[in-house]
Amino acid sequence: MIYFENVTKVYGGDVVALKDVNLGVEAGEFVFLVGASGSGKSTMMRLILKEIEPTRGAISVDGAKLSAIPRRYVPKHRRNIGCVFQDFKLLPNKTAAENVAYAMEVTGQRRRAIRTRVPQILELVGLGGKKGAYPGQLSGGEQQRVSIARAFVSQPPILIADEPTGNLDPDTSVGIMQLLHRINRIGTTVLVATHDREMVDVMRKRVVALEEGQVVRDMAKGGYTSEV
Amino acid sequence: MRSSNLGFFLREALKNLRLNLLMSVTAATTTVICVLILGLGLVTYSHVGAFLDSIGRDISMTAYFPEDFSSERVEEVRENVEAYPEISEVRYVSKEQALEDFKETLSEQPDIVEGLPGDVLPASLEITLNNPGDSGAVAQRLQDEGFGEDDLRRNEELVESFETFAYWIMLILGTVTALFLLASVLLVSNVIRLSIFARRKEIEVMKLVGASDGFVRTPFVLEGLVQGLAGATLAALLVAWANSAFVDWAREALPLVPVASGAGKILLVVLILLATGILIGVAGSYFSVRRFLKV
Repeated sequence: MIYFENVTKVYGGDVVALKDVNLGVEAGEFVFLVGASGSGKSTMMRLILKEIEPTRGAISVDGAKLSAIPRRYVPKHRRNIGCVFQDFKLLPNKTAAENVAYAMEVTGQRRRAIRTRVPQILELVGLGGKKGAYPGQLSGGEQQRVSIARAFVSQPPILIADEPTGNLDPDTSVGIMQLLHRINRIGTTVLVATHDREMVDVMRKRVVALEEGQVVRDMAKGGYTSEV
Repeated sequence: MRSSNLGFFLREALKNLRLNLLMSVTAATTTVICVLILGLGLVTYSHVGAFLDSIGRDISMTAYFPEDFSSERVEEVRENVEAYPEISEVRYVSKEQALEDFKETLSEQPDIVEGLPGDVLPASLEITLNNPGDSGAVAQRLQDEGFGEDDLRRNEELVESFETFAYWIMLILGTVTALFLLASVLLVSNVIRLSIFARRKEIEVMKLVGASDGFVRTPFVLEGLVQGLAGATLAALLVAWANSAFVDWAREALPLVPVASGAGKILLVVLILLATGILIGVAGSYFSVRRFLKV
């Protein structure tokens, strides 16, 4: 589903973010990307979204070589990938329901479809009662649920989350992870970048560890650190 | 773009205008200033132009008939001259009439003209030109008819200096308007850029969710259109009002100065202003958003 082949990314000529990374994520997998800040996790996420281009190497997502996607088809590419960010990135002037609806509106879906789908998905993430609330009126955990609802509303084959629990307390984090897990169980490929040690250890999923831009460990049912 | 999308974009644009009311009002107000400057410039230009035109029309030349012209010849020449296309008006002044005019001019000192014979002054044609610039050509044609160079009194110097004066007035007026317009266009585009800069995060999120450039841009452009139209409408009303107030005042206070009321002209000015406002709003938004779309 997501393949990195000898990918190197250098920022500004001398800051090496990724060094010769090879990684394959198959359809339906749940993968944790772990590592300290600056280890290259976010760079991988941004590469997958085609927000930035690799310096060397090739990336393919859902069968498409990213380097071959022209700029005007980038929006279409992104609609195949639901994204969840550490800082939620909700539109502050839109209610929870409107934020979720926006992701459907950009794909030109019918209003009727939007009107039935949005309440369903908000119900699914446990925010059925807060459809009309603005992001400013929601807690961090609730905002992250809205952002997950938005990422998933069009049922993309891939969902990537960059530090989804980074701004949340441990109890709230568990709820968010459970939500991601449920989304994975219905067949979505989920990639989560995190340094939430506890979460990774509890979930026992595939773990890819990055250190200074290189993959240092790739374990099925792994923990945050190599000792089990 | 589907029609259901248009509804979506309009709702988005109106909502954003409401939510960013302060910025919208700032942009619209700046547009008012910009369009107002253009409008006042255009109106002043047209009034000054009409005024200069009317002065130009008064400039005439006088052709004195030489003594050796028979009365038939005078009649013939008079008819020929009346057919010249450059000429708007010809007045024939007979010898008797010339003396009458002369007497009238010197009515304070009647003894000077007393006892003068009836034909002491030559008959003449007083010619009003359509365009002061044609005086050379008309003089040439009159000489072909048999007038000597000394028989023609051309207000040549006056005509030339008047033309230079009119040219400079219009040039200065045009330059000043253009400079003010340029400054205010820069001001408006800055205000629009600032308001869009404040919302760059929003644009980034839209792009990350998979919105195409056009999808992000359209509501912004519609907002710009509304702001520009609102500003231009206000400015156009002010200009129309100022114009009619000026015309009324001028008729009252300067009865001898011809002032063109120009209802058709002011309508044209209003249309130009509305188009300018819309163009500023739409182009300003379009180009400002474009800078933030490269996500």
